[in-house]
Amino acid sequence: MVRPRATAISAVAVLALVVAAGCSAPGGDKKESGSDSGPIKIALVDAQSGQLSSLGAWELKGAKLAVTEWNAAGGINGRQIQLDVFDDQADPTTGTNLARKIDSEGYIAMIGTAESAVTIAMAPTLKTAEIPNITSGQSPGLVAVGSEFLFLNGPTSTTYDETLAKYIVDQQGIKSIALITNNGSYGKGEHDAFTKALTARSVTPVADQVVTTDQKDFSAALTSIRQKNPKLIFLGAEEVESGLIVKQARDLGITVPFAGAAPQGTPVFLDTAGAAGAEGTIVSSPYLSNDISPASKKFADAYKAAYNEDAELHGAKAYDGAQIMLTALKNSNVATGKPLADAIRATKYQGLLGDFAFDQTGVGIFATSIGKIQGGKLVAAAG
Amino acid sequence: MQVFFQTIIGGISLGAVYALVALGFSLVYRTMGLVNFAHGNVVTVGAYLASTFYLTTKLPFALAMLVAIAVTAAIGLVIERVLRPLENRDFDLMLIGTIGFGIVLDALVIMIWGATGRAVPSPVPAAPIELFGLRIRTYDLVVLAIAAVATVLLVLFLSRTKRGAAMQAVAMDHEAATAVGIHVGRSNAIAFMIGAGLAALAGGLVGPLLYVNPALGGALGIKGFAAAILGGFGSIPGAIVGGLAIGVLDSFAAGHFQGYSELVTFLVFTVIIMIRPTGVFGERTVNRA
Repeated sequence: MVRPRATAISAVAVLALVVAAGCSAPGGDKKESGSDSGPIKIALVDAQSGQLSSLGAWELKGAKLAVTEWNAAGGINGRQIQLDVFDDQADPTTGTNLARKIDSEGYIAMIGTAESAVTIAMAPTLKTAEIPNITSGQSPGLVAVGSEFLFLNGPTSTTYDETLAKYIVDQQGIKSIALITNNGSYGKGEHDAFTKALTARSVTPVADQVVTTDQKDFSAALTSIRQKNPKLIFLGAEEVESGLIVKQARDLGITVPFAGAAPQGTPVFLDTAGAAGAEGTIVSSPYLSNDISPASKKFADAYKAAYNEDAELHGAKAYDGAQIMLTALKNSNVATGKPLADAIRATKYQGLLGDFAFDQTGVGIFATSIGKIQGGKLVAAAG
Repeated sequence: MQVFFQTIIGGISLGAVYALVALGFSLVYRTMGLVNFAHGNVVTVGAYLASTFYLTTKLPFALAMLVAIAVTAAIGLVIERVLRPLENRDFDLMLIGTIGFGIVLDALVIMIWGATGRAVPSPVPAAPIELFGLRIRTYDLVVLAIAAVATVLLVLFLSRTKRGAAMQAVAMDHEAATAVGIHVGRSNAIAFMIGAGLAALAGGLVGPLLYVNPALGGALGIKGFAAAILGGFGSIPGAIVGGLAIGVLDSFAAGHFQGYSELVTFLVFTVIIMIRPTGVFGERTVNRA
């Protein structure tokens, strides 16, 4: 008869589903609330699969490096720190489910996510559960949530784009500017923040093109921009999409430089756009290179030794965020809930991105620097 | 006017890739009446294999593509072999089986190549051709040429060879085909093999145009599936027309509706399908589902 074989096939299919489900949430099987003994449980929620998984991978590497250093030094109050990884697939729905999961499984703090939309979706659940969260998102929408449990490990888009507009308009005198941004939460935040910074300087963009987050062909948007003949194109999209836009722009004969924030300073952007295409891109970033300070050199060396690849902004941000979280845990004698959130807010930390001092909105750093891609590398811009 | 033509050019090059993906969907569907939900994931695997042999093993691009096609074709055979006991018996389980395979392939890709992707430099480094103020990428022409050749070869195989004719016969009536001595299982295996090979071809070709990462096949799979439906599911010319149509439609929607382009593309798609449920070339000869 055929039945047993049919059952075997379905068993294979079911097994495949189970295996896949298991992959998405490793290490979440113990139930143990914030007790006073045993490891300190911290959840790292980030995209480990999907289009934004490179962000998640960098985050994980940066945060893990900090935790490993603390554990090697004996942990906190003699307790080891346990960092468990959850895959949010850069999807807000998955994120909210994970927020409930880390609450029910007794995690006392969360690091991540790198996607503002996911973090915003998770924030209400985490606020109710009183789980402090240090995110790598930079959308002004994160501040608008108004949760006293939500902290940012870097500046918001407002800071990035204000610095950028100051450099481009005030210092370089470029006023013929075109915008191309995506309609995701990051791109939307960039669009609004940069437009605001331009309006304050009474500059009107010559073109304002919006693309979707998974668009692959930008011919229409770029050809329209080319006809307006701008002197500079502002780019508000994640790494890969930004790279594709620059690559296609160069193929269409657009030679003017691009400008943008954090994503445009990453290796993924450079690879996707190609070094020649990315040349001259103006980047506003709080972490321009691994050589800016002795601390960043030390971090970059440790990062290289652990993962055999060069450190970049997102890893550095996550490292800073994890350091702040761990410092606050130490200062508060492993507090949880509101006292831990207060301890994070009170933490003054000299990080790779600068000196952190949190305000009521959960933002701890308010400055970026301007860099330029030259010879396939991001270097500090002169003047 | 310039924007209009440049938009068409941009749409056609991705459209050719959608057409190749649609061909794979249609070929398996016309032969077995089955929608292979793992098809998009096979595209990803093909893209990774081609880029690995091209970048890491430093094979010439064409050779890297051939190796990738061969390996993915073998994966197609494995999928068919595992699903074979269900053929003509439990259709729903077969569908779920392909979904399961898709998830397994997705997980395997992340395990082998990691969650981050890679950029593939164009194998044709020549500057774009400038024609009446329009810019045409040389690599786009290569993609179009290869897609055209692949289509012609597929049509010739189906119409001129004995094995191809046998597959057509199975597509029309598998019981009658069995009665005249055609091995239905083998015919299905070949359909899956060629389908997977086409997926690898699409994935390998699209690598230098886009960015190879685990999510690559998902987006291409959905557009390719829509293309196959639009052209008439199971129809070979339909897959080509559907692919190009979806590509161009997508480009125009992007130009006119910007952030809402995806919505508009699929609204237009839905309207067309409501007016003509069988798609442009739909014949409804295949109805085994």
